[in-house]
Amino acid sequence: MMNAYAKPLPRTDVDSQPFWDGCKQHELRAQQCNDCQRFRWPPQAFCPGCYSWNFAWTRLAETGKVVTFVVVHYAAVAAFQPDLPYVVAHIAIDGTDGHVQLISNVIDCPWEEVKVGMAVRAVFEDVTPEMTLAKFRPA
Amino acid sequence: MPEQAIKDKTAIAGIGWTAFTRNSGVRTLTLAAEASLKAIADAGLKVQDIDGVVSYFHKRPESKEVAELAQMLGLKHCNFQIYSDGGGGWNCAAVFSAAMLVHAGVCKNVLVFKAQNRYSEGRAARSERAHDVSGPDQFTVPFGQHHAAAHFGPHATAHMARYGTTSIDFAHLAVTERSHAMLNKKAMMRKPMTIEEHQASRWIIYPFRLFDCCQETDGAVALVVTSAERARDLKHAPVYIMAGVGGVSETSGWWETNGVNSAPKLYEGAGIAPRDVSLAEIYDPFTFMCMTHLEDLGQVPKGEIGPWVRAGNNRLDGALPVNTHGGLLSEGHIAGLNHFIEAVQQLRPEGVVDDLCTGPHTYDRATCRQVRDPKIALLCGECVDSAMLLRKA
Repeated sequence: MMNAYAKPLPRTDVDSQPFWDGCKQHELRAQQCNDCQRFRWPPQAFCPGCYSWNFAWTRLAETGKVVTFVVVHYAAVAAFQPDLPYVVAHIAIDGTDGHVQLISNVIDCPWEEVKVGMAVRAVFEDVTPEMTLAKFRPA
Repeated sequence: MPEQAIKDKTAIAGIGWTAFTRNSGVRTLTLAAEASLKAIADAGLKVQDIDGVVSYFHKRPESKEVAELAQMLGLKHCNFQIYSDGGGGWNCAAVFSAAMLVHAGVCKNVLVFKAQNRYSEGRAARSERAHDVSGPDQFTVPFGQHHAAAHFGPHATAHMARYGTTSIDFAHLAVTERSHAMLNKKAMMRKPMTIEEHQASRWIIYPFRLFDCCQETDGAVALVVTSAERARDLKHAPVYIMAGVGGVSETSGWWETNGVNSAPKLYEGAGIAPRDVSLAEIYDPFTFMCMTHLEDLGQVPKGEIGPWVRAGNNRLDGALPVNTHGGLLSEGHIAGLNHFIEAVQQLRPEGVVDDLCTGPHTYDRATCRQVRDPKIALLCGECVDSAMLLRKA
């Protein structure tokens, strides 16, 4: 088939599935402890702050700040070659006390203009019928 | 924390290495065996004196390397084997594990090795690894984070934003390490490098240029750890293991590494202060990582590594000679176990044997890379996930 999505796709697991389901719904979600209200990332079964096993998946803001980043000029995987250079950033999602830091691409922005502290907003890319990736653009 | 009970109770008695190349033409285990047999001979021991074997891998094991090497060597009395997934963070932990096995009385003479065909075979393996999309990789690989420079670059970008560190600071570190490698017969890169050449080298993954990135190497190194008491009767003067650490804890930001947690315990464990260190062999897969490690190990105030490197403090006659062999950047990448080969050479009474000077060391930096009268060496792995202090007999 022409234009088949050639890049690696996430292999979801029992802990992460609700996050990816959220992306499919064009929502950012993370686990929040029912006892101490702490957010956490990556997904795991209990709270790393108070060790409670009670949690809920909570919808997050779609905005965040660039904590740090790199700009990839060398593709180790051929499918990424057309995107060079591209930005891979660590993005702290607003309202999570810095506990949810997603790794994603900052798009629609020349790489020279990406800065630590820059405000970004999620944009959801439906890359296959089954999978949606949350990427970010300048807010 | 008081001094560690193991302080000065064990020693490195033998070291061995193969050629460092881009195409060894032999199996990884053959490299492992060559370096191991040389280390055992260097210690003045027989193969059957070895009763423990330790090695480590990054992410995916090469094979059942430790068990296979023990079998290749025909060991008749191997009491303990360890093969850890600690990657480049585990170089010091590997040596310290051997020391703990000796100190605990489980083993008498433990072989530690690291062998790899990282250039000739590793590139294909890395491309394959880039398709790992389960576990933590599901959150990174689909977004194009595949290369080690993409994993460690974020540390550098954060430090640059917080402290004003620059690519030219990185250049000074690369150039100094290259000048050390030029005095090292086994180093892969022995051509001079200038600041301008560094700055003109292409971006690999910003903020790292080509000359910020380490070598990829086919080769192996090995060493033998034994008790301090036994070491004193062997061929070479012992190089004593003062203290070690090998655990990983949280840090407060990308601008620092686990060294901020582990370094105080390391110095306390050895009963010394950071200023007592004579030279440092520091994990340097990328220029900046060596720089943050030096800060986090308490050798340079946080945020001041740029000016410190530009002033040449890390040169052979500087305040703290760093990566006197050229490091992963210019000697070669044997997962930081090659840093031990250098530290042991520097701390033996006869000094370095594979520089360009013959006879007694001249300290002429056109030929000689021996540091003047070093007493204590500091070593670390990636993110200071493990670290160690060695001392001269």
